[in-house]
Amino acid sequence: MNKLTYFPGCSAHSTSEEYDHTLKLVMRTLDVQMEEIPDWNCCGATSAHVMTENLALALPMRNLVLAERLENKTMAIACASCYSRMKSTKKHLDENPELARKINSTVIDEGEYKGTIDVKSMLQYCYEEIGLETIKSKVVKSLSGLKVACYYGCLLTRPKDVTHFDSPEYPMSMDRLMEALGAKAMDFDYKTECCGASFSISNTEVVESLSGKILEVAKESGAHLIVVACPLCQSNLDMRQPDIERHTGKKFDLPVMYFTQLMALAFGYPEVELKFPKHIVPVEAALKHIGEVIPEPEKVKRTKKAVEAESEVE
Amino acid sequence: MARVGVFVCFCGANIADFVDVPAVVQEAKRIKEVKVAIEYKYMCSDPGQGMIREAIVQNRLTSVVVAACSPRMHEKTFRKALSDAGMNPYMLEVANIREHSSWVHQKDKKAATEKACDLVRMAVAKSIANEQLHEISVPVTKRALVIGGGIAGIQAALDIADARIPVTLVEKSPSIGGRMAQLDETFPTLDCSQCILTPKMVDVASHPFIELIPYSEVIELDGYVGNYKVKIKKKSSYVDFSTCTGCGTCIQKCPVKVPNEFNMNIDKRKAIYTPFPQAVPNKPVIDAEHCTMLLKGKCGICAKFCEKGSINFKMIDEVIEREIGAVVVATGYDLWDPKPYEEYGVGRYKDIITSLEFERMVSSSGPTNGVPVRPSDGKVPKNVVFIKCIGSRDEAKGIEYCSKICCMYTAKHAILLHHKVHDSHAYIFYMDIRAAGKGYEEFVKRAQVETEATYLRGRVSKIYKKGDKLIVRGEDAQIGQVVEVEADLVVLATAITAPKDNPALARLLGVSYDKYGYMSEAHPKLRPVETAKAGIFLAGCTQAPKDIPDTVAQASACAAKVCGLFAGDTLKKDPMISTINNEFCSGCLNCVKVCPYQAIVTEEIPLGYGSKELRTVAKINEGVCQGCGSCVAVCRSMAISLAGFTDPQIINEIVAI
Repeated sequence: MNKLTYFPGCSAHSTSEEYDHTLKLVMRTLDVQMEEIPDWNCCGATSAHVMTENLALALPMRNLVLAERLENKTMAIACASCYSRMKSTKKHLDENPELARKINSTVIDEGEYKGTIDVKSMLQYCYEEIGLETIKSKVVKSLSGLKVACYYGCLLTRPKDVTHFDSPEYPMSMDRLMEALGAKAMDFDYKTECCGASFSISNTEVVESLSGKILEVAKESGAHLIVVACPLCQSNLDMRQPDIERHTGKKFDLPVMYFTQLMALAFGYPEVELKFPKHIVPVEAALKHIGEVIPEPEKVKRTKKAVEAESEVE
Repeated sequence: MARVGVFVCFCGANIADFVDVPAVVQEAKRIKEVKVAIEYKYMCSDPGQGMIREAIVQNRLTSVVVAACSPRMHEKTFRKALSDAGMNPYMLEVANIREHSSWVHQKDKKAATEKACDLVRMAVAKSIANEQLHEISVPVTKRALVIGGGIAGIQAALDIADARIPVTLVEKSPSIGGRMAQLDETFPTLDCSQCILTPKMVDVASHPFIELIPYSEVIELDGYVGNYKVKIKKKSSYVDFSTCTGCGTCIQKCPVKVPNEFNMNIDKRKAIYTPFPQAVPNKPVIDAEHCTMLLKGKCGICAKFCEKGSINFKMIDEVIEREIGAVVVATGYDLWDPKPYEEYGVGRYKDIITSLEFERMVSSSGPTNGVPVRPSDGKVPKNVVFIKCIGSRDEAKGIEYCSKICCMYTAKHAILLHHKVHDSHAYIFYMDIRAAGKGYEEFVKRAQVETEATYLRGRVSKIYKKGDKLIVRGEDAQIGQVVEVEADLVVLATAITAPKDNPALARLLGVSYDKYGYMSEAHPKLRPVETAKAGIFLAGCTQAPKDIPDTVAQASACAAKVCGLFAGDTLKKDPMISTINNEFCSGCLNCVKVCPYQAIVTEEIPLGYGSKELRTVAKINEGVCQGCGSCVAVCRSMAISLAGFTDPQIINEIVAI
């Protein structure tokens, strides 16, 4: 059994309970023992780093110190924003040991920061440490027939120099993971565009316009649903969807699911465990597509000239 | 006893306004060796030089100090004045009281004057230790090597050959012509590129003073200015050019098809091929990486059909040597690969192409017979979005510099699109329009007004697919809004980069190159075509991105430099070079490591007088040494001395302050 240090973040214990719950199911199947960091604190989110730099470093740093005490190789983080804060802080501290010592000695009583733990997002952990082959081997109910648009949001792979994971502009790890479950990942150009993030509360219009665009392009891709790995992305795309539909007059009907929900589904957990009632946009209709046969894409009709050019090529 | 003359110049008001010139003259007169000290308004003028000549004769001077502008400006002028008066020209010292004093201390005349006095005292002290030096003569081989057969190499070769100087032109690919041969029409006049280039290509092939060696690479260069030895590897073409008539039957019969790099891989060529129909020489070569006969020993159809029996599968690479006096490097450019622009879907969407692909499509001799088409479905596009600065001016994804030609060729593409597809519309996203050049701004206006191209100032942030269209989302900074354009085809103006082999070639030639791989000129303004290595010159994009007019001008400048170099039977060289006293040399060879010109070699000398045992010491190659003095500074045993900057001269200067 592999052991993993787990940082849920505030969402996983509240708005994204379905993420937290299905994640635990999935890890049970994958034989990973998750150890939640005892007495973890807020990562500081957006607020801390717009206020004071040292506070924005101190908050994640305390979590890093606590995480190191569990002595597992890796800490995986459920929320993209927590992940970003934690990973950036680690980079900053590792590059500025003097500053690390200063913050450590003034505000953190829980121990000494060593910089030894690997910080990964939950997606990255599944992709890199568990691996697609293992995941594939656990699938009992293939998701074939289901077309998904994988949405990574702006933080999972960015900035490149901090995350060192996948492409910052057109990542494919979640797409590959979905394919391992049997689903078809669609070409989705807006997979890393901003959803509006925490403007959801202070300036909802911004979220409606940005998330609206994401929904529009996802719909255009032909996907039945959107897959995410971030609680805030999920809530913006799901919770604001009816408002966006009302304001734009467009109909999307795109459920927004965590990648762990689909993994749990493919691993054979009953629907009741997947916590569908937590969703604003109902997911059931989309999941009916599982088992359908996706027809081969029609060959693009080409002009005579193109055909001639092609035959010249062949 | 030394007898020194000091001549202090006003330089109009340049010096006199900020330095008290008469005070400097008085100061000079206090030095005991100074026999005469004179001030004059313009020392470099004819009367000024006359005063120097007269003073030399009248006072029987042994050395001369001119306190004036930088020696870079007039050292040669004053040396000549000394020669004219019968004095060794190297007995001159220049005290630079303009750039080093009056110009930089304009707010403090007293201090500037003091500094000018110091500089004069130092120059006087140094000149007392000056020795008579004589120009060095080196023999010269009057043959030039031109590397690269694009428009730069062609122009340089023709200009040199027209001066009846033999030229060896080495081209890597099977034909000369380079990038310009791939172009359709050229800005800002829309001349047909082929029509102005191909006659020049033919001139090269038929010129009695040009030896054209295609399908070859330079692999070694030895020697120094006027006396280089070059080794050229002739890649095996498997076709005997001396008997081949260029009939083309072999090409027709060859069954193997390979992406056609000349057409940016839009169509295919055969494994035996000429790059394009107007190729010079118009003889095919076999691409050994794809020929079935060479790979598997089967086929040989080309040989069966060749009436002349010119195909020889057993041909091997050949190395030939030439003695040459000068080199013109004209290796051209590569294009930046736009793959990092993942947010545009580069590589995922077929209908996003590069400018050179577009250029090949609109070329009448191109793979689509001059009509632009969408690679995805072959339809003729109506709305075409051009995006400039792809890789250029992009520190995050690409390179920092401006590629210089993209603004112009994109305007050209908008015009050509309109010519080829009358009901089309061009949208151009740009950061700035850089159209400095004769007729250039007018040309861009023409694209904007005549063809009604829509110029949108701003970057594109995203391209996504909607149906069979590409939606280009970007900023229109002039209205401060995000705009979306529905495009049938997107053309990326990718940056110019140095050829990837440039650093290796530069090292082989012994010239320096910058962080991008462009070869470095000796001075960015005053020596733009020379390299720091004497006798090696740069033409075209091998030095920096530039357009055809600039490239041709630079190539002709190279030719002028080569002709100048070859004007006499020997080369005259400044005697300010290093010499090694090998009795003192310990053989540590630190000097070899620091020499930027590869001018220091080693030699074996007897360990002692009459000894049979040998030891290694350093030796200066007089032809190559540029007198930088680096070796002098690192020599632990003080065995190296730089003429004109000897230890006694430098010590005298220091003592005089």
